[in-house]
Amino acid sequence: MDVTVSVNGEQHRLDIEPRRTLADALREDLGLTGTHLGCEHGVCGACTVLVDGEPARACLMFAVQADGCSVTTVEGLAGDDGTLHPVQEAFVAHHGLQCGFCTPGMLISALHLLETDPDPSRETIRAEMSGNICRCTGYTGIVDAVEAASSTMRDASRPPDRP
Amino acid sequence: MSDAEDTAGAGGTGSLGRSVRRKEDRRLVTGHGRFVSDLQLPRMRHVAFVRSPMGHARITGVDTAAAVDAGYRVFTGADFAGVVLRARSALPSYVETDQPVLAWGKVRFAGEPVAAVVAGDRYRAEDACELVEVDYDPLPATVCAWAAPQVPVHAAAPDNVLLERRFEAGSVEAAFAAAAVVVERELVTNRHAGNPMECRAGVALWDAAERKLTFWSGTQVPHIVRNMLAELLDLPEGNVRVIAPDVGGGFGVKAVLYPEDVALCLIARGMPGVPVKWVEDRVEHLAAATHARDHRYLISAGFASDGALLGVQADVSCNVGAYSVYPWTAGIEPLMAGGLLSGPYRLDNYRCTVRGVATNTAPSGPYRGVARPASVFAMETVLDAAARELGLSGVDIRRRNLIRPQDIPYTMPSRLVDDSGHYGACLDAALEALGYEQWRAEQARRRAEGGAPIGIGFAVYNELTGLGRAASAGPRMPFRTGHDACTVRVNPDGKVTVFSGVTSQGQGLETTVAQIVADGLGVGYDEVEVRIGDTDTSLWGFGAFSSRQAVIGGGAAHRSAVAVRDKVLALAAGLLEAAVEDLRIEGGQIRVVGEPTPRLSVAEVARVAYLESNRLPAGIEPGLEATQFYDPVRGAFAAGAQAAAVEVDRTTGELRILSYVCVEDAGRVMHPQIVDGQIAGSIAQGIGGALYEHLVYDEDGNLSTGTLLDYLMPTSAEIPELTIGHLARPAANPLGVRGVGEGGTLGPNAVLAGALGDALGVAVDTLPITPATVWSLMRGQEAGS
Repeated sequence: MDVTVSVNGEQHRLDIEPRRTLADALREDLGLTGTHLGCEHGVCGACTVLVDGEPARACLMFAVQADGCSVTTVEGLAGDDGTLHPVQEAFVAHHGLQCGFCTPGMLISALHLLETDPDPSRETIRAEMSGNICRCTGYTGIVDAVEAASSTMRDASRPPDRP
Repeated sequence: MSDAEDTAGAGGTGSLGRSVRRKEDRRLVTGHGRFVSDLQLPRMRHVAFVRSPMGHARITGVDTAAAVDAGYRVFTGADFAGVVLRARSALPSYVETDQPVLAWGKVRFAGEPVAAVVAGDRYRAEDACELVEVDYDPLPATVCAWAAPQVPVHAAAPDNVLLERRFEAGSVEAAFAAAAVVVERELVTNRHAGNPMECRAGVALWDAAERKLTFWSGTQVPHIVRNMLAELLDLPEGNVRVIAPDVGGGFGVKAVLYPEDVALCLIARGMPGVPVKWVEDRVEHLAAATHARDHRYLISAGFASDGALLGVQADVSCNVGAYSVYPWTAGIEPLMAGGLLSGPYRLDNYRCTVRGVATNTAPSGPYRGVARPASVFAMETVLDAAARELGLSGVDIRRRNLIRPQDIPYTMPSRLVDDSGHYGACLDAALEALGYEQWRAEQARRRAEGGAPIGIGFAVYNELTGLGRAASAGPRMPFRTGHDACTVRVNPDGKVTVFSGVTSQGQGLETTVAQIVADGLGVGYDEVEVRIGDTDTSLWGFGAFSSRQAVIGGGAAHRSAVAVRDKVLALAAGLLEAAVEDLRIEGGQIRVVGEPTPRLSVAEVARVAYLESNRLPAGIEPGLEATQFYDPVRGAFAAGAQAAAVEVDRTTGELRILSYVCVEDAGRVMHPQIVDGQIAGSIAQGIGGALYEHLVYDEDGNLSTGTLLDYLMPTSAEIPELTIGHLARPAANPLGVRGVGEGGTLGPNAVLAGALGDALGVAVDTLPITPATVWSLMRGQEAGS
């Protein structure tokens, strides 16, 4: 089937089997291997991407369902000049990752959380991030990172002080 | 946790002891990690395995005709029958058994690979699996290690016992005769698994012209894998290259050579020039990657009236699953359980029989903490039980018996030698951080005034880390782990490339090794690049297990860096016509002691060493490189104590952790964030094992927890805020470090079971502690009262 999908702002036309998951299309057909597969049954959250701004499990979605959609993956977070997104920067600064396998899904979930709730409490962060499993960190660094990113992003979006 | 520091200009002051930015992170947060599953090569084909749906059955027929007719390559057990995995050990009672690459004759656990198919993509490979017909004749399955088998798993072991060993010291009879109290318990711990977020994966490529095999594998032990593959495939070891790129967690599960790995390499040899790839899915992983900690402890312990521990007698059965795990053997859990059961407690009279028992379940293997989360639970349980009978507090009975600094070196009853002794200090610090007295007061208040019951639990443990050749002697395998190698090379431009034998599955070894080399050599952290996980570029490393790499791989990196520094200084001394002992390197600059400005840079020395041989001082060889091994001979015990306060919901049976504390002596802390991250992550795994994770087989050997919907891994909503403290007493090795990867897993079973017992006055004998466990313990209490 012909599918037209925008990924990280770039338009792609793909001829794709109906049974192919969005995750496999991203990873194997587009070479965007940052989206990881941890369980392939929708529990672990490693494959989380944004589809039209909403988080989705790329392992549970067929690529053909993304026809006409705009998809954001981890590769789309940093600036064109390589500047890390504040969420990425916070994960580095606060040791929010060890092996890095769950990280792409964590970053996308964190980004969506902070876009919908710019100032979440630690308790809210723990509840909202609970759809993504990390086996390495014990979550301390991840919660620290999301908290720090929320502060950075709020500072950046605040209008400059008037003299 | 503190922020990672910006490393710009880090050179001058040294990088060890600081949370420098991890070298791994930039690629991992931008989606540019290099995991095996990411690998795409020209002409690559994909493999899927047909797996046994039965726990125990004779294979009466394998029909591949439909799949072959449809154009797929299919391999069956008969194709690979000439190669078997036979984990060897010279222990007298050990029964050697074979694990086939693909099962033939019979299957021994549900999920065992029976056939492999090769297709253009994974979707078609799974289609092809449907076309392979396997006929089975079911046999009675045995899933419990302390049940007699109707039909043994292996004919060579009619009672299913693959290994039995007795540890004996002093006289338990005399100790129990003199005891004021002897407590006796039967404790059963739950089967669970490491379950790294990246499942297993491999790509194999056979170059027929050169007779060379390249195997990309998410392994923790690439050099051991190379050694084993060369032997199994009868190849010169130099013709096998194993590459472990970024690996998404390991925790022991990936320290094993699996039949699927060998199958992939044999398939590749059957398809020259075609890279064959297998990426495991989670359902396969839960069914067929190694499990752990399915143990039973029949334990008795005698105490004097003042709480002194007089004697321990134990009978430990470990369910080792269908096969003796390659190459570690069925001894991995039972020998660790018997060797470390007495933990950080002084004990003279000890008798412990351990056995590894085969069953029709997935093989058990190394998993972070190996056996000790279970054995610590057993030991701490008898301490709590005795304290209750003697009217002592849990804290006092532990303090009464802990190995003290003045006891060091302390020879444990299993003859392991403890070099730590800082257990009391860890326990005191943990109680302080927990706010022990306040929680006791709150507990008393609630008991008087009503409210959800509160309990406090503890665990104190010793973690044997960085095992050298003497400490790793126990299992008597054909190889003796102990050393690692490291090569440090200063390039002609003065930058440094390190080829280290360590591997990383998230531990940040690229970062830690760079810190060690930067400081050892005297250059900035940013000037050092570290390459790991490729057997063609690094000389030797046993890999990631037993919390060994910071101690051993780190020690090798330090020694190599110092050797290169010495050569840089010798060369500089010749160039400057100065005495070597008057020269220092700091931040990549060489100065004469007492002079304010540097005379020469490491880069200038490197240029001479490679490009200006006309300036080489007499007697100095070109090049700037050194390779050194390090073996600590013994090991470095890391002390740890954990404590928690929990609250029990009497209506739901839910256990809520109000505060959780861990204090460890990890020796010198090289990177505070990484060390705390290892401790936090291992505690989280321990909490998962204590409260949620349980691999359950039915009596026919079917795994009834085969997805992450049934096998519950803890999320950020379950794991509480953790308080982590350090003692940091340097160990006797070049860097003063102790291993830190596993200790955290050792405490939570004991801490949470103890806390529940303290809250309700019940005895927790089985794990995990689910709401149903709590509820039935409360029901039992009501019925009894």
